[in-house]
Parts: sequence; C-alpha cells; structure tokens
Amino acid sequence: MRLPGFRLWPRSLATRTAVPLLIGLMLVQVAGLTIHALDRIDIQQVVQMREVASEIFSVFRAVAATPRDRRENVLAALHQGPGFAVTLAAGPPVTELPEMPLQTLRRFWMAIEAGPLIRADPRLLGSKPDDAPERRAWASSEFMRRNFGQAGVAPTDIVAHGGLFAHRLIMGVRLTDGDWLHFDAELGAPRPWHSPTFLAAFGLMTLVAAALTVWAVRRLTAPVRVLAAAAEALGRDVNAPPLPETGPEEVATAAVAFNTMAHRIRRFVDDRTALLAAIGHDLRTPITRMKLRAEFLDDDELRTKLLADLGDLETMVAATLAFGRDARTGEKIVALDLAELIRTILDETADAHPEAAARLAYQGPGHFTFRVRSMAMKRALTNLISNAIAYGGSARVRLDPPADGWVAITVEDDGPGIPEQEIERVFEPFHRVETSRNRETGGTGLGLPIARDIVRAHGGDIVLANRAGGGLAARVTLPA
Amino acid sequence: MEQNPHILIVDDDRDIRELLARFLEKNQMRVTAARDGREARRAWTNGHYQLVVLDLMLPGESGLDIAKWLRTQSTVPIVMLTAMGEETDRVIGLELGADDYVAKPFSPRELLARIRAILRRAGDRADQPHAPGSVKQYRFSGWTLEPAHRRLLNTEGTEISLTGGEFDLLLALVDRANRVLTRDMLLDLLRGRQAGPFDRAIDVAISRLRRKLEDDGHNAQLIKTVRGGGYVLATTVERS
Repeated sequence: MRLPGFRLWPRSLATRTAVPLLIGLMLVQVAGLTIHALDRIDIQQVVQMREVASEIFSVFRAVAATPRDRRENVLAALHQGPGFAVTLAAGPPVTELPEMPLQTLRRFWMAIEAGPLIRADPRLLGSKPDDAPERRAWASSEFMRRNFGQAGVAPTDIVAHGGLFAHRLIMGVRLTDGDWLHFDAELGAPRPWHSPTFLAAFGLMTLVAAALTVWAVRRLTAPVRVLAAAAEALGRDVNAPPLPETGPEEVATAAVAFNTMAHRIRRFVDDRTALLAAIGHDLRTPITRMKLRAEFLDDDELRTKLLADLGDLETMVAATLAFGRDARTGEKIVALDLAELIRTILDETADAHPEAAARLAYQGPGHFTFRVRSMAMKRALTNLISNAIAYGGSARVRLDPPADGWVAITVEDDGPGIPEQEIERVFEPFHRVETSRNRETGGTGLGLPIARDIVRAHGGDIVLANRAGGGLAARVTLPA
Repeated sequence: MEQNPHILIVDDDRDIRELLARFLEKNQMRVTAARDGREARRAWTNGHYQLVVLDLMLPGESGLDIAKWLRTQSTVPIVMLTAMGEETDRVIGLELGADDYVAKPFSPRELLARIRAILRRAGDRADQPHAPGSVKQYRFSGWTLEPAHRRLLNTEGTEISLTGGEFDLLLALVDRANRVLTRDMLLDLLRGRQAGPFDRAIDVAISRLRRKLEDDGHNAQLIKTVRGGGYVLATTVERS
C-alpha cells in the first residue's frame, strides 16, 4: 500500500536533514546498546561459569576422595541446588547436545581463577578436528591438577556437551576407578539488559535525542523558510518590507544579499517606470493641442480622420503609461467580486462593440470574492477580452474557483490562434504577430505584456494556448 | 440659458489655453484664461464665473491648492483636467469638491459636453442637496458607495465592479434618493462617458444596476421605475 503523497526521499530541507541525523543517531544507539549487551552477556557468562565450575570441582574432589561404596551417600549428602544435579554412572553421559569445543571448555575452567579477563586462546581457535594434543596438554596442566586433585584427569576423562547458548551443560568426568560422575547444570538464559528500567531509560534517551534533533534542525532551516517567504513576497510586491538582517552570520549575510537584490530590482523597476511615465506625460500636451487644433479644421472628413489618428496615439500613450506604471505599487489589494468584474468588463466590451455582443459569454459562479488590485486586474482582464474580440471575434470567459490552490480565468476566442513559435513572443513589449490582418486590427503591442505584468504582480501567470478546435485560449492563474 | 456662460480656464500651456478658449467661444461661451494660481485669483476677483476648468498639473501652486482656495470662495462648479492614469489626483480632486474630471489628453467635445451638463445642473443647484465632495460615503441597504474612489462595496466590504455609466447613474440616484430622476437628467450624466445610443444606454445601465443591487432578492425593487419615464432609488441613504 502506498500512502498518498509519500515519497522515499522527503522534500523539505528540515526532514532531509533530520532523517539522516535521526537514522545515524539510532545506528549509534543500537551499536552502543549492542556493545553494552555483549559485555553484559560476557560478564554473566563468566559469573555462571565460575559458579558451575567451582561446584563441579568441589563435588568431584569430595567424591574422588570417598571410597567407592560410600559415594552414593556422599552424593546424597552433598547439597544439590536447583538446576544442578550430580549422578554416578558407569559410562560417559549420552545426550543430544553438541559437544563443547575445547576453547569454550578451557574458558569454562579458567573462569574460576581469571574471571572476566579470560579470552579464548587464539591458538585453540578452529582446532576442533585435531585438538587431542591440546586436550592432553590442557588436562595435565598445573591448573587442572590443582582443581581436580593431585591425581588429575586424563584428556579422555572429560566429556562436555552443551554450553551457555544451549542453556544447559552436561558434563561427565571419569573417576580414577572407572566410574563416571555426571553433572547436569542449567545455565540461565543470557540477559543482555540487567535491569528492567534499562530499556525504558534507553527509549527515553532516544526520544529526547530525537526531539532535540528535530528542534535543532527546524531552527536551522527556519531562515531558509523566511528567505523563501521573502522571495515570494518580493515576487508579488516589489516594495515588500526588507528581511531583518539579524541572526547567525550566514543567515544575516544571505538577508543582506537578498535585500540588496530587492533594492536593485526596485531601482530598475523605478527607472523603467520613470522613463515611460516621462514619455507618456510629455506626449499628453501635444496630443491635447492637436485635438483642439483639429476642431478648427473645416474639412469634416479630414478632421474625423485626424481625430481618429489622435485617438490611436492616445491609446498608445495610455498603454505605455499603464506598462510603465509599476504594477506592484500604487494600488491597494482589496476584496473584489471577480465574477462581477468579469461580467462588467464583458458589459463594457458589449457597449463598445455592439456587433460582437452576442459572442460574449461568461461561465462560472455568480459571485466570487477574491483579493486583488481592483483597477490593475480590471485592466489585465480587459486587455485579454479586447484581444479575444479584436483577433478572434468572440470572447468566452470562464472562472474556475480554487482547485489545487489556484483560481483560473480562461478567455477563449474563435480566431485563427497564434503560430506556436510566436506564442511566448507575444508577451514581449511592442511585439506583434506579423500578419497583415493584425496590422489592420491595430493595437499597441502592449496589451499582453501589461496583462502579464499585472497578473505576475499578483503571484500568478498568463499562458496562451491554441485550442484543439481552433481559436486561442488565454489562461490566467492566480494563487488562491 | 439667458446669457453666454463665463468660464475660467486655468492651464499652464499657452497653446492649450488659447485653443480651448477659442473652441469654447466658438460654442457660445465667454472665456477668461489664467496661467497659474496668481492669475487665477486675480481673474476670479475681477469677474463672475459660472464654471472653472482647472488643470491639476500646474507649476508652482498646484491645481489642488487652487481648487481648495476656490471652495473657500464659492460653490462654483469645477471641472478638473487630470493627468491620464493619475488616480490619486482624481481622487483628491473629487474629494476637494471638483464636480467632474476629464483626463488629459481630453477630447474637446467631451469636455464641452461635460461643461454643458454641469451648467444645466448648476441651473438648479438648489436642487442638489449636497455640495460635491462633501460626501465621502453613501450607505444604503447594506451597500457603501464611495464617490471619490468610484467604487461600490457590499455588506462584506467586497468591491462590486460597475461600468463608468453605471457608477454615474447610481451616484445620481443615491444622492437624490427617494426623488424621481427623469430620463433627461440621467441622459446628461451619461453623455460623454458612454458610446452608443444614450436612451438605450440608460435602460441597459439601469437593468444591469438592478441585477447587481437586487441580485439576492432581499433588495428587490431598490430602483423603481416611475411611469412617465423616470427612476427613483427607494431606500434610506446615510451620508458621511
């Protein structure tokens, strides 16, 4: 089963940092715990071995020193604790438990004297197939003589089965007169954690470490989130407040760099605005003069044509001014009924082009409140709808309420569309699709750049696409 | 009109001053032109004017200062010449009490139509309950109308878009609430702002206004049609 949205490699920086840290932390914890547990098992082993070995030695010495006919009595008199049984027999013990390797046996015996310091003799490792000489040497060692009594034991006198991990030790030791003493000792299961609170403490420690890691990582990545939010804010509003230049050195440096960049962008936008505004302002007076002068022309036809030309000129100046005006400043963001705005623009378009009124349509909710710069958004949508009417002869506007965090407004027409290679270039200022038809239609080449500027200043975008059934679709998306 | 109305033009561009003066004189008006605030004051004290055409972008003393001063002197109608696209100028100008505005570069005929409409209305100035610019907000039936910003807000404060003509009509209806406005009066308002046949435009604009204002049913019959050709806004209007 796959959880929705689950990814093997997490997307957020905080998770990406925290997950390896937590995994590493857990690995270290597990390794530490394993070392600790192995150590505990080792100690436990040695302690058990020492207890069992000393028991065996003392029983053996007591029985060996007793005449044969009284051995049963001695055995009965000897304390046989729980989990430790000694019996007399005629032969070696028979058991399904595997035979104990010599090195374990040797450790077993040695435990009684050297305690936990005993480690297996490397020379004995892997000596199983041919360890008879070792056994002999071992059995006749000073240590064995001291513990099994002066008579000592022959190498064949000891048969050991099982071990710590079988939880049981079965050992037969032959007495000098041929009788066998069988020892059957239960060995406690290895207990890696000594106390029951150990695991709880360990869990708590892990939790605290994990919490600390998550907290530290979140703290560390917070400036990245702040930076992202600031960049996002700058995209919407070039005059967004600067980032605080505080915090750790690296963060402060990044904030300073970001603020410098924002300042340069702002200055660039201001320069461009000032330049275009200056041109627009300066053209207004001569156009006004010419309009007045035209009123004194006696030739009606000439006057009408001149006024029409001046009207075109005025439209171009208006577009230039609108383009030059910084789309991000000067107007407050207000709650606006977007559906009503679209209908109003369509009404105005119908008033201006009564012949196209029947080919204007709105589809969408009756009301939809949205926060925008009211006049700018009206200009952007007006430009798109005017284009649809001018080049496509119709305009169908559809408003789609938020889906996946985006509101979409689509303006469709039934015109010839735009050649694919031109579809992005039409957003360049003063660029117009070069066909004779468009030159007749006029236009400033600024409608789309202005519209896109405005929509982008709202954090959205405009994309053009030729429709499958013919015509062009302009899709405006705005962050909900 | 008994006598040719006397217009005071304040504009710093000599050609525009002279051309505009000639144009208005050609259309049966008397014109005095002033270049700046100083000349305007002098002309004002030496004459009697029915209307002032005031350029807001003047070097030195701004048109807004002159408008403010004029308002201390009289309620003479003022038509502002605003720079195209300078919303703030227009808003401040309307708040200061200008009666109308025309954006530069203006069409002389549109300016003439506005001047004539204002002069006609000024003829029954007593009829106008409130001096222009004195009302910042009208509230009626849950709606808020802000004349200077030219916007309409609903109960939730959401802006409801209106076309220029719809706005002018609504403002006239709201300002004279519960009084019948004849079609002729409304036609004056739309003249110059709207293309197309005016009388049709009134009906269309009224029906659109009704749709926008009476949409949810609880404001049904806000704008009533009066038999004999007129409309009335039937509601209480609060001014502030």
